[in-house]
Amino acid sequence: MGFVLIVHAVVGTGLLLRARTGRAATLVALLAPVTALVWWAANLGTVLDGGVVTEVHRWVPTLDLAVDLRFDGFAALMVLIVSGIGVAVFAYSWSYFDAAAPLGRVMGLLTLFSGAMLGVVLADNLILLYGFWELTSVTSFLLIGDRYRDAAARSAALQAILVTGAGGVAMLFGFVILGVEAGTYRLSTILADPPAGAAVTAALLLIAVGAFTKSAQYPFHSWLPAAMVAPTPISTYLHSATMVKAGVYLVARLAPAFAVVATGWRPLVVVVGLVSMVAGALRALRQHDLKLLLAYGTISQLGFMMVLFGVGLEATSLAGCAVILGHALFKATLFMVVGIVDHGTGTRDVRHLPALGREWRTTRAVAVVAAASMAGVPLTFGFIAKELGFQGMLDASMTGNGVVLGVLVFGSALTAAYAARFVAGLYGAYRVATPTGAPAAADPTSPAAPRLHAPSRSFLAPAAVLSVLTLVFGVAPALLDGLVGEAASSLAGVVVDAHLALWHGITTALGLSAIAVLGGALLFLWRSRVDRLLAVGSRLPSGNDGYHASVAGLLGGADRVTGVVQNGSMPVYLGVILVTAMVLPGTALLLDAPWDGWPQLVDSWVQVALVAVLLSVALGAAIVRHRLSAALLLGVAGYAMAGLFVVQGAPDLALTQAAVETLSTVLFVLALRRLPSRFERRSTPVTRTLRLAVSAVVGITVFGFALAASSDVQPRHVADEIVERALPDGHGRNVVNVILVDFRGLDTLGEISVVAVAAIGAVALARAGRRPRGEPRPSTAGPGGTPRHAFVEVVVRALVYITVTVSLYLLVAGHNDPGGGFVGGLVAGAAVALRYIAGGLDDVRRMVRTRPWSILGAGLLLATLTATVPLLFGHPVLENGSWDLALPLLGDVTITSALLFDTGVYLVVVGLVFMVFEAFGGEATRESDQTEPPEQPDELVEREEREEART
Amino acid sequence: MSVLLAGAAAALFAIGTYLVLQRKLSRIIIGIGLLTHGGNLLLLTAGRRGLPALIGEGDPSELSDPVPQALTLTAIVITFGVTALLLALAYRSWLLSRDDEVEHDLSDLDILLGRGSHEDDADLLERLEQLDDAEPPASGTDPT
Amino acid sequence: MSAIVTLPVLLPLLAAGLCMLFGRSRRAQRAVALTALTASTAAAMASLIAVDRDGTVVVDAGGWGAPIGIVLVADRLATIMLAIATITLLLVLVYAIGQPGAERHHVGFQSAYMILAAGVALSFLTGDLFTMFVAFEMMLTASYVLMTLGGTQDQVRSGMTYVVISLVASVLFIAALALLYTATGTVNLADLSERIPTLAPGLQSAFALLLLVVFGIKAAVFPLFFWLPDSYPTAPSPVTAIFAGLLTKVGVYALIRTQLLLFPDAARPATVMLWIAGLTMVVGVLGAVAQNDLKRILSFHIVSQIGYMVMGLALFTVAGVAAAVYFIVHQVVVKTGLFLTGGLVEHVGGSSRLSRVGGLMGTAPMLAVLFLVPALSLAGFPPMSGFIGKFALFDAGVGSAEFWVVSAGVVAAFLTLFSMTKIWAGAFWNPKEREPQATPHDPGRWGGPLLMVVPTATFAVLTVAIGLWSGPIYELMTRTAEGLLDPSVYRSEVLDR
Repeated sequence: MGFVLIVHAVVGTGLLLRARTGRAATLVALLAPVTALVWWAANLGTVLDGGVVTEVHRWVPTLDLAVDLRFDGFAALMVLIVSGIGVAVFAYSWSYFDAAAPLGRVMGLLTLFSGAMLGVVLADNLILLYGFWELTSVTSFLLIGDRYRDAAARSAALQAILVTGAGGVAMLFGFVILGVEAGTYRLSTILADPPAGAAVTAALLLIAVGAFTKSAQYPFHSWLPAAMVAPTPISTYLHSATMVKAGVYLVARLAPAFAVVATGWRPLVVVVGLVSMVAGALRALRQHDLKLLLAYGTISQLGFMMVLFGVGLEATSLAGCAVILGHALFKATLFMVVGIVDHGTGTRDVRHLPALGREWRTTRAVAVVAAASMAGVPLTFGFIAKELGFQGMLDASMTGNGVVLGVLVFGSALTAAYAARFVAGLYGAYRVATPTGAPAAADPTSPAAPRLHAPSRSFLAPAAVLSVLTLVFGVAPALLDGLVGEAASSLAGVVVDAHLALWHGITTALGLSAIAVLGGALLFLWRSRVDRLLAVGSRLPSGNDGYHASVAGLLGGADRVTGVVQNGSMPVYLGVILVTAMVLPGTALLLDAPWDGWPQLVDSWVQVALVAVLLSVALGAAIVRHRLSAALLLGVAGYAMAGLFVVQGAPDLALTQAAVETLSTVLFVLALRRLPSRFERRSTPVTRTLRLAVSAVVGITVFGFALAASSDVQPRHVADEIVERALPDGHGRNVVNVILVDFRGLDTLGEISVVAVAAIGAVALARAGRRPRGEPRPSTAGPGGTPRHAFVEVVVRALVYITVTVSLYLLVAGHNDPGGGFVGGLVAGAAVALRYIAGGLDDVRRMVRTRPWSILGAGLLLATLTATVPLLFGHPVLENGSWDLALPLLGDVTITSALLFDTGVYLVVVGLVFMVFEAFGGEATRESDQTEPPEQPDELVEREEREEART
Repeated sequence: MSVLLAGAAAALFAIGTYLVLQRKLSRIIIGIGLLTHGGNLLLLTAGRRGLPALIGEGDPSELSDPVPQALTLTAIVITFGVTALLLALAYRSWLLSRDDEVEHDLSDLDILLGRGSHEDDADLLERLEQLDDAEPPASGTDPT
Repeated sequence: MSAIVTLPVLLPLLAAGLCMLFGRSRRAQRAVALTALTASTAAAMASLIAVDRDGTVVVDAGGWGAPIGIVLVADRLATIMLAIATITLLLVLVYAIGQPGAERHHVGFQSAYMILAAGVALSFLTGDLFTMFVAFEMMLTASYVLMTLGGTQDQVRSGMTYVVISLVASVLFIAALALLYTATGTVNLADLSERIPTLAPGLQSAFALLLLVVFGIKAAVFPLFFWLPDSYPTAPSPVTAIFAGLLTKVGVYALIRTQLLLFPDAARPATVMLWIAGLTMVVGVLGAVAQNDLKRILSFHIVSQIGYMVMGLALFTVAGVAAAVYFIVHQVVVKTGLFLTGGLVEHVGGSSRLSRVGGLMGTAPMLAVLFLVPALSLAGFPPMSGFIGKFALFDAGVGSAEFWVVSAGVVAAFLTLFSMTKIWAGAFWNPKEREPQATPHDPGRWGGPLLMVVPTATFAVLTVAIGLWSGPIYELMTRTAEGLLDPSVYRSEVLDR
């Protein structure tokens, strides 16, 4: 079996890849269903002897998902239908499609579909079945929409996939519940020993939804008529003969096991089936388009099968098997005939159909036979099947089978009526005289009136063969005893011996059949009256309304929800985030907070003073409306922090904090100096109160959390061990620095890479839209614009040299005393700042010959290399090494790799400072900057290169 | 940690939040500055306070806990780098729009104000009327 | 082995340094970057195989053992993430080089990209919560730079939102670290997982929830995701692709790691997470339905799909966690692929707005395939990875009788299909309604420049391959989940050596 599926996959994909193939595609495509039929014939024997052919390939054992194929009686029947009709349709396509048109895509998709459909009927694993099921939906979607330039085709395709897709996911949910309840996803095992319970019932209802959508049952039916925009071969194959039967197939499989177990399931399926049967037929009776008539007929017939299979008893299942085959035969034929007529006359509308002359004799004959079978006229297989159905319902040990039977007969009568309407239509009973007299032209939707031509033999052949079969099985139904019997048995799980016969004597069933046919005849004769009645019914809302209402509702609802949550305002986003971040843990703490009294109130009075300063300037920064003073206040807050660090006993931290604060204040001033100096007050009282509320929540939660966290403090095992090992193993007295470059060197490595990339980003942003350097500037003076003075020059140079030396000292000494690469770098940065204040950007640029980029790169590279080198010698990354060298003057010095690492840090920081001045240092902007658009990034690169050239 | 410092950190968080919830980027940046101060304060005070953590300064038990100091230092540096980037953003935004206002997201506004036109969903919304009254849809054959 | 494990972190950093030095030569930068990423990919693959075979590899950075030093812990989860991440980074870099856009125009691109790569790798590998903070910062800062490289008005606006919100998240992270250290005196994950259970129960769950929020912002879960759909679409498409593929997943990884390792069952906020999962799935996908721009639709799908992963995790069962991890891998592949396709659509159609592109089915059929495969995978069609992922999650959910969250997943699954068909109809079937802003390029035979098409196609192939070979892959996921659900394993691997 797997082999057959693979053939379909290969042929299908091959055709898709050769999308431009012409007619030949149909012949290539035939390969697939023919292979399937051959395989079918080869294995039929086993099945007819009551055996099954199984084949299992592992896929995801952990999830109990396997390619688990099972060929039993019912599967055999379905494969025959799928591949048999497949052969007919593919052959039909040869003549149907325009010889010149590229067919690769359509035929490829059709082949893939037929493979997927075979998968559905062969799969013995629920999830696998679902998979193939969805594949049939996709292929159907792509096929309906294949002529995508036509809006009708597009929307029909969308409607089809959305409706069946919705049913599909519901079905998957049902399958999963069923599988979990049964402890396996293997269908045959589940059916052999069906689980029970509320969950199972829910599962089956969900599955039923899937089946209804797929088999176009009310109220989900409306996608099927819409799908009729597709070319006839597609409608024939997918939307009458095979795909729409998938739902029926599923019900047929599940019903015998669950019809009784799952309370409420059987009534649901039966009622939906009956409604669809009657409503579909009534709709069919009103159609003028032959194709739509057949489409509604299909809905009605599928309803009939739903009822028969849904009951889930041997007799009814047997009948169902007969009906499913009979329907495939006559409905495929009728569709093909409609295609032929459409092809030959340019219309399918019975009101515009021209008179079909003698040369159409055969076509008409074929149609009449098929229609008779649909109506259930004796000597056609349709009659046999239908009578089996009535018989089955008569014997059914089911409450209310009488009512069901009644409705079935009524439905059959309607079926007979629309069958008659179809034939009458072909014979021109509904033709309306058109002024032009050119019937085809009267139909606006038809292509420019083609000349009337009867079908070629090859065009009609497939349909003809099928209706011959209808007759043969109608006369000698016993031929099918084995197949249909085995199919029913495999469903029921017990041996059902079938005796399909034309004549059972005068039975109630025969009477019912007679009533149905004659009733149909009457309905047809009184059609004028009937039509008036039906016209009333047409005012009721259709499934189509439901579909469009729900789509519109969905889109509208989505807009509303999204409009509310995704309102595009950052303050709101931040507010929500902060509140969530506080409320969730806050509640947990409130529910049971660990609380053993207040900890120590105050450590030292210096702290109190510092905190007072800190908070007051913080408040100031929040309140003042003057940009720069706000920035300066933030700076002061930073220094207060540094003070707190000192009190806490963290000199390195204090140093860093102070240096960082200085630099960032400078940054602020540089970056914001040109922005309007004041923030205008714009927020409304409401928003301000909200803001205050959020801030209050945040403050309180943080406070509470901090106290709770410090309520039971555990021993500082990590810190103690680090302090202990810093000097002996870390070769440094300054524990903090040892941690930074050694214990947690990796953090530092990451940290400097952050700094480096931030610097790059800042320059890229600030530089975009700035005049390339090297062009003459109005003045080389600093931001102060003060003229340069020799004395100032000397002092500045001196200061710069001093600061640089200090910074180097801090770098080297850092390992044992407060300092380290980072602080060192920042101090060096201060030197740069000095230069800037004195001489502006040009002076800064003159300080070093290399680009700041290279400084950054070198630093990062050095640090990373010191981290990587140990790997080469089989040591762990970042491991520290130390070398003792005897240097002239200095004597013996130990160089630790930590120092190299720290130098890397130093360089990165220096690089950063240079970059920062590059970014903000230039005379911030000229009028031209606001007008000129952000310069083309290309120029950015070019500028880089020009700069290279200059240095 | 002492109640005082916990309170200080909490207050910094509160004030920072108030600033962050505004529209002017330069205010937001100041707010973030305060928030990070709060975070760093929490981080530092997570460790024992004492003498500077220099071996030999005193008995190891009197030294301050060096680990949080190292962590805080890293944090400070990182936030510094990112703040520089953020300033560059403000600067750029001013170059482009003469302002550092954080504007609404326009596409979101469209949908909020029902301007999220579903022009692209025509196919979904289009009704095939002929399915309700019995008018035939387009002829099913390829024009030959 | 321990050396190889660290390469995905170190090589990109070295490359970043070199790229800054080679600022002037784009060719040199590309060579360096490609070499670094290829090598890291190889290393990641090697370590995945080795770790799965011989067990977790623990590296002591600096030679100090845990908890005083930083350890890199390469267990199954970490190496799986590492492998998929490095492949993605490599392919997207190729695409970026092939695309006339961000990479060509900015000397900073390669350096930033490399630091992003290093950050991602480090956040997977580290066994230390503070180092994870640093890694996040590397990743995020690089992402700020990549996002705003163009410096256009849109980028600056969304850049502000993105940067500010990420910064606030970082502050929260710092606060969490501070409070954790206050209570336990350590930031080493294994050490934390030993000490947290000794804390007061209220404190434990408070920490669990705080970390949930901290990483929830990065992972973009409801109600913390609003920043994502506003900021991602504005970046150049390869950048958006890598963000979509990796960044949020790093957040999810952190969630999985911390919730499973640090907190005992009682402290895990399972119920809250299930709610978050359900809401994220549905609200996210509704957002997608409301959009009319390809990139925005996809961005909302990122969010919605994160919900599935959180759901898997929130079940706290082997089945659930395994499904979640599998789903992450699937999502990285599919989302990146879709965004790359989106980039191609923009390149060929001149816009990412559905009403402005159209008829691509006729003009660029190859593109239709490149979209259809990952789109169907995302919507959960066989035989692609999405099919397995969706089924596995539902199976796990029903297995733990969490019917409501599964129903949310079912609804989301349908709406995903809905908006995929919407894109398909809009971009590939519909005729163009309005002219695009940018000039369309000729798709040529392959649907675009080969250097862009090949990586995109590779992702399409990957999702099919993962789906077909789910057997062994899923067994790996199950082994991973079993390991994750028993923290004592991790602890002993890291601490008692």
